[in-house]
Amino acid sequence: MRQFTGRRPWILAGSGLAAGLLSPAIVSAQTTPPKPDRIVVNASGGAMNSIFRRSYFAAFERLHGIRVVDTSPVDFGKLRAMVESGNPEWTCTEIGGQDAMRAKEMNLLEPLDTSVVDRSDYPENARDSHVLTSSAYTTALGYRTDAFPNGSQPKGWAEFWDVRRFPGPRSLRNHPADNLEFALLADGVPMDQLYPLDLDRAFRSLDKIRPHITVWWSAGAQPAQLLVDREVVLASGWNGRFYELTRRGAPVATEFTGGSLKSGSFGIPRGTRQAYWGQRFMAVMTQPELQAVYTTEMGYPGLNRRTMDFVPAELIPLMCTAPGNIEKQFWLDVAWWTANAAIAQERWNRWMLRR
Amino acid sequence: MSSPAADRASPARRRELALLLLGLPALLLLGVLFAWPVLRLLSMSVADGTLHQLERVVLDELYVQVLFESLKIAGLVTVICLALAYPVALWLTKAGRIGLTLGMFALLLPFWTSVLVRTYAWMVLLGRSGVINRMLRDLGIIEYPLPLLHNLGGVLIGMVHVLVPYMVFPIYAALLRIDPDLPRAAEGLGASRWAIFRRVILPLSLPGVAAGCALVFVLSLGFFITPALLGGGQVMMIAMLIEQQVRELLDWPFAAALSAVLLAVTLVVYAAIGRLTKGARLASP
Repeated sequence: MRQFTGRRPWILAGSGLAAGLLSPAIVSAQTTPPKPDRIVVNASGGAMNSIFRRSYFAAFERLHGIRVVDTSPVDFGKLRAMVESGNPEWTCTEIGGQDAMRAKEMNLLEPLDTSVVDRSDYPENARDSHVLTSSAYTTALGYRTDAFPNGSQPKGWAEFWDVRRFPGPRSLRNHPADNLEFALLADGVPMDQLYPLDLDRAFRSLDKIRPHITVWWSAGAQPAQLLVDREVVLASGWNGRFYELTRRGAPVATEFTGGSLKSGSFGIPRGTRQAYWGQRFMAVMTQPELQAVYTTEMGYPGLNRRTMDFVPAELIPLMCTAPGNIEKQFWLDVAWWTANAAIAQERWNRWMLRR
Repeated sequence: MSSPAADRASPARRRELALLLLGLPALLLLGVLFAWPVLRLLSMSVADGTLHQLERVVLDELYVQVLFESLKIAGLVTVICLALAYPVALWLTKAGRIGLTLGMFALLLPFWTSVLVRTYAWMVLLGRSGVINRMLRDLGIIEYPLPLLHNLGGVLIGMVHVLVPYMVFPIYAALLRIDPDLPRAAEGLGASRWAIFRRVILPLSLPGVAAGCALVFVLSLGFFITPALLGGGQVMMIAMLIEQQVRELLDWPFAAALSAVLLAVTLVVYAAIGRLTKGARLASP
């Protein structure tokens, strides 16, 4: 297979020409459309794309002989612009947790071909018609183990808010999502009664913690960096970033209590030319052995139930969906955020500006 | 039969036409790739047939306040850049070949590094246990770390670092254009070095100063990554809000309205700088 890759564009051009000249009957007799020389998969970039390359991309290239080109970053605005332009560059794209359902509602995605993308080993609620749930992640509390040794870290957001018992500079994200939930949990709202969010109460609660937040982070890499640099001793952050530090032996650990669970998603932009191969790429992404590679490296567990069978046992307690961790967390209500993102964001901006 | 005056004018006009033809490809490119998309973006803000989106921007305290904050930061960055850049530009005109090469290298090097990388580098330098704070503490100068990062100061440092070359080069170019006989003549007439600088060099370099200020000011207004990362949430600039509307909230008409207001403010400032330095330009040869 390999030695022909250099010639494939010519073969392709030839077959394209033939298809154009010959009668449609012959074309429709072909069950598979002609192979392009590449498909484009858009994802978060950085370490994530290199792990994708080792797992899903390599497997797809082996299976179909089509090169996978990766781009980044994930950009919802760009997805919309691409679909509206009628010629999306991406064959498949990752979609930020809160945006997947919105993308589907805005008719930006191709439906998934269930005869190709087999999700029988997925939880019932993770088999959407248009969205492939690729992994779960959580916004949890990262802490320095030298500041809080022997399990003395704050457990949950009420304790994070308690600056007398748990002193030290802290960091939260400069964004309303998660923080409003954390503020309500800190104020005593039970985890199963968070939604619909009481904005007034949430912002009143945030007023109390505000003087102790030395950094409002805006890039996903920041919380880990802030902890390593001792800029802060406590920070909210995406668990994969803390997972990586813990695995590398840095004095950083994750407290899952009160964590905000979300799922990472992939979709096929509507109107993309290689949708057929996009479906096949999605099929590759459901394979448990490959999901395990990603899960082990990133700490973001794949949704196939059999994935955990291929993950080293000692790493399983560090996963957000591991028994013992998942019960302590809540699932972010994507529907609420889809409906209220603009209002919440505007209030958040106003609140941030008020000093 | 044409008048002698028209005969004299026509070659000049022909030359002008030829020059216009030379510029035409660039103008077309700008028109298609810049002016047209900008117009389309701006038209989105009034696509619903009302001025509602624009009203939302100008009547809302939040956006007005952020706009003023952005103008303030852009102004501060411009002033600091000017103060830093002018001596450097002056030195470059006087430096020998080695000095010039080194100076140019130091100025150009940041251009080859991404803004994001440089911003992270500043985080390493300015942090609570960053290089600078650790050094000062080891030297016994301070007891507690200085808050250099995650505030307005950090944002200014990061932005000035990115933008200083944009100030140096126009000023340097203006200084190079000054006829060396002019300061020499002033010297011959008994002017002191300070008087030469104040009455000859400085006025003649003002067009460069104006160009540099306009460039730095306008670029500052568009910054969003640096203030987001180095400001730690304490600094909000209008470009950050536009990015939020475009990428996250997908409210493009409102983003277009914010952009339109920013563009209008930028043009006003640009015109003001032009007006202020008009006299200076007339004075230059």
